[in-house]
Amino acid sequence: MARKADTTRGQVEQEIDLAQPTCPNREERANGINVWYGKASDLAKEARTGCLKRRERRFQQSSGCVLNFYLAIRVGTIRNAAVIYHAPVGCSSAALGYREMYRGIPVELGRPANYDLHWMTTNLNENDVVYGATEKLKETILEAQRRYDPKAIFILTSCTSGVIGEDIEGAVADVQPKVKAKIVPIHCEGSRSRLVQTGYDAFWHGVLKYLVRKPVKKQKDLVNVASMLSYTWQDRLEIRRLLGKLGLRVNFVPEFASVEDFEQLSEAAVTAPLCPTYTDYISRGLEQEYGVPYFMYPSPMGVANTDGWLREIAKYTGKEKEVEVLIKDEHKIWIPKLEAIQKELASVKKDGEKVTVLGALGQGRLLAQLPYFDELGLKSSAAMCQDFDNLILDELEHLIQKMGDFDILVNTFQAAEQTHITNKLNPDIAMTCPFQGGAFKRDNGVTRVHALRGDPHPWSQQSGYAGAIAFGNFLVQSLKNKSYQKTMHDKTKNTYKDWWYKQPDPLYYLAKEG
Amino acid sequence: MAEAKEQKTNESQQNVPVGAVEAPRYSCALGGAYSTAVGFYGVVPILHSGAGCGIGQLFGQFYTGGQNAGGPFGGTSTPCSSLIEQHVVFGGENKLRDLIASTLEVTAGQFYAVISGCIPALIGDDISSVVKEFRDKAPIISVKTSGFSGNSYAGYEIFFDALIDQFLTPVPKVKGQVNIFGVVPYQHLFWKGDLEVIKELLESIGLKPNILFTRFDALDAIKSIPAAEYNIVLSPWVGHKTAEKLKAKFKTPFIAFPGVPIGPKQTAEFLRVVGQKLKVPQKKIESLIAEKEQRAYRFAEHLGDMLLIVRPHAYFAVVADSSTAISVTKFLVNELGYLPDIVQITDDPPEERRDLIRQELTETLETAVRPEIIFETDSYRIRENLKARSFLFLFASSLEGPTSIQDYGAIHLTVAFPCLDRLILEHTYAGFKGGLTLAEDFMSKFAGPL
Repeated sequence: MARKADTTRGQVEQEIDLAQPTCPNREERANGINVWYGKASDLAKEARTGCLKRRERRFQQSSGCVLNFYLAIRVGTIRNAAVIYHAPVGCSSAALGYREMYRGIPVELGRPANYDLHWMTTNLNENDVVYGATEKLKETILEAQRRYDPKAIFILTSCTSGVIGEDIEGAVADVQPKVKAKIVPIHCEGSRSRLVQTGYDAFWHGVLKYLVRKPVKKQKDLVNVASMLSYTWQDRLEIRRLLGKLGLRVNFVPEFASVEDFEQLSEAAVTAPLCPTYTDYISRGLEQEYGVPYFMYPSPMGVANTDGWLREIAKYTGKEKEVEVLIKDEHKIWIPKLEAIQKELASVKKDGEKVTVLGALGQGRLLAQLPYFDELGLKSSAAMCQDFDNLILDELEHLIQKMGDFDILVNTFQAAEQTHITNKLNPDIAMTCPFQGGAFKRDNGVTRVHALRGDPHPWSQQSGYAGAIAFGNFLVQSLKNKSYQKTMHDKTKNTYKDWWYKQPDPLYYLAKEG
Repeated sequence: MAEAKEQKTNESQQNVPVGAVEAPRYSCALGGAYSTAVGFYGVVPILHSGAGCGIGQLFGQFYTGGQNAGGPFGGTSTPCSSLIEQHVVFGGENKLRDLIASTLEVTAGQFYAVISGCIPALIGDDISSVVKEFRDKAPIISVKTSGFSGNSYAGYEIFFDALIDQFLTPVPKVKGQVNIFGVVPYQHLFWKGDLEVIKELLESIGLKPNILFTRFDALDAIKSIPAAEYNIVLSPWVGHKTAEKLKAKFKTPFIAFPGVPIGPKQTAEFLRVVGQKLKVPQKKIESLIAEKEQRAYRFAEHLGDMLLIVRPHAYFAVVADSSTAISVTKFLVNELGYLPDIVQITDDPPEERRDLIRQELTETLETAVRPEIIFETDSYRIRENLKARSFLFLFASSLEGPTSIQDYGAIHLTVAFPCLDRLILEHTYAGFKGGLTLAEDFMSKFAGPL
């Protein structure tokens, strides 16, 4: 899509500099913030005028860091690679699921029968902190090469390696000639940025700098899709099914991809989004370095969004005619099912009042999901999103124009704030996840935002046409039994004192400016 | 022969030039102290750390400890100072001060534990002074656990060190009170259920057990630690330092067992030893044992046909922390007639405790077969050590689960950390009945028409 030339976008339009060891933080790159509450239109206005400020909270809860918001787990799913955490032992314990990841997907559904995932930790101790540990890192790289014979070795850094000033690039340059695998350092020190999305950019920076190869031959039927943990195996199958009907192949990265899949990113016809802000850095990088075009909107969530997503892909692959046939065929199957869901949701409340939904979403998911909810006939009078930055500013304005204004709470898993706003707005459906603490305890509908990668059931999918219908039915089901959350609400103690729920402001603890 | 092979393994370990390992089965000291705090119902942990330390441990301690959610004060409900670069440069003390003040205002806790991570340790924040400012407002301690100072087990002991040094004061001894140590929440998968069984067992012989964790009166549980007549440690090494410290400060002697007792034989021994030390009439102990044993063994008759027809006297392998490894191995050998092939100990016990662990895994066994015993924290080497052996059963963590049949031809059951393939709430193998539950769990995996 065309981008306006304005100055409020900070460094968004600046070139990606692969000579640097890492990307700029989202704070610098796109003026990212993780605390804000008010009308979405005001948020857009403040962002447009460059007035958004990063502010402190006096009360804050653990919410994930650049390394440990799934980056760790994500990189560990790459097949024929190995990961080394240059960190104390606790930074990688979240990745202990590595050997079970994806194993629940039946081989009959296309999961490879044999694969092995590996990670090591340099297990930094007090001595290492005092004397430095780059030698240890080098030896660990050699050991990973000996043990696993991987095609790539990812190095994930930590607060500790950062604060003690480890020379990661030096160590890599030193040891690379002795190692067959490509070494990919990723600078994801937890303390480097308050925005977890910086971790995505840092990962893609490493991928662009070290893994993507110069195109050997362009593959005109190949579509890059950055698939995330929140996309299930069935989502992949649906995307593959739809693009397959257009005679296209999908190159899914990074989760569960092989190193070769990364290498060939440069040869694709187009990079398509599932989440625009997750994909942003790799999409821009591939265009800048190798001329691979990309688009950011829409994501294939909901029927209309999926139509739009397919049409965008068709533009870059010369399938404009075929796509119209596909959309027409698919609509014949899915539109009647969509209408049935719309009808059922419309009949939940009396007098034509819409069912209300409050979701906690990534900023990318926000942009795709609100129109989808609208399509289903749900009302989103408010939304929560993990963080906000100028990467989505145009699209947010577009969304407000299309759907009308709504309240928005920007916070990265601040459970007290999320509990507060859920309690205050009392939506018919609160979409929750483990990162909202006790927000699920209520006398009303509760369901999850999304399933996870290892879930193989069609019931859990959300992408494409099949996903739009599956998730619509899923939401209908969520309204039919409230006993778990109600019982827990009635029978367990609250984490916070009563006054917290009674005062009006979810950002009660926002520190004064200055 | 086992001994010779073990030495060889140790030598080859020394040849590997780094302390780096694949997927060790614990987290860091912060993770252990945090798990310990969350194990007390009513204690609010306050993390002075990077923002990811709480979520990291939600995944790396609570989920991996049997798929448990964080609860009212764990995971994203945990207050955290969320330190970033500006604090690395200017210090994080003000941030911590604000956080403690607001946490006391907004959370309904009984006790507060400030647990600090790598960044404050590296930049030298004076956490003690900040915490002291709040001493008159709430019961609060400061637990200094940088991630690089040790593993989860160290974190458990550091938590109790801080508690003893900063909070506990002498109180009159209560006759019959015993505190239970050595069971680390989440690292010991069955902590909740096991402690409940231990509590019931000790109450049934007239004692007043203080299991510390899962009590709703956490503050009382903590304050009354010095009142114990004895401390009981259920591990060959974890919690021993804590018990020693309590002995030095409050003159409380302690009794140590190699693990949580599984099945009638271990449980009877546990009760006899405790009964003798605490002067419970022998008759009372013996009549209880007789009653419980009769029932447990009558029930064990029910599994006889399946055991003897399908998988009798098979070799098994264990990969677990030392206390779980000892209890499970002894039960399978001494009560079900199985044969120990190899036992890999994954919790990195200190050198000076390893002979005791070896003894427990050899001299107490009612078979001439001696398992090979290997102390190993590296998941890669653990897998290598399991290759080309005789075992048909693998009692291990869920890391070994997906490929156990394929790689070793062995039926697998998760009994040790990490455990992502089982939800563990009150499940327990402890006590007279616990062995039967363990039999149900692993025998159900080969149940079929007879």
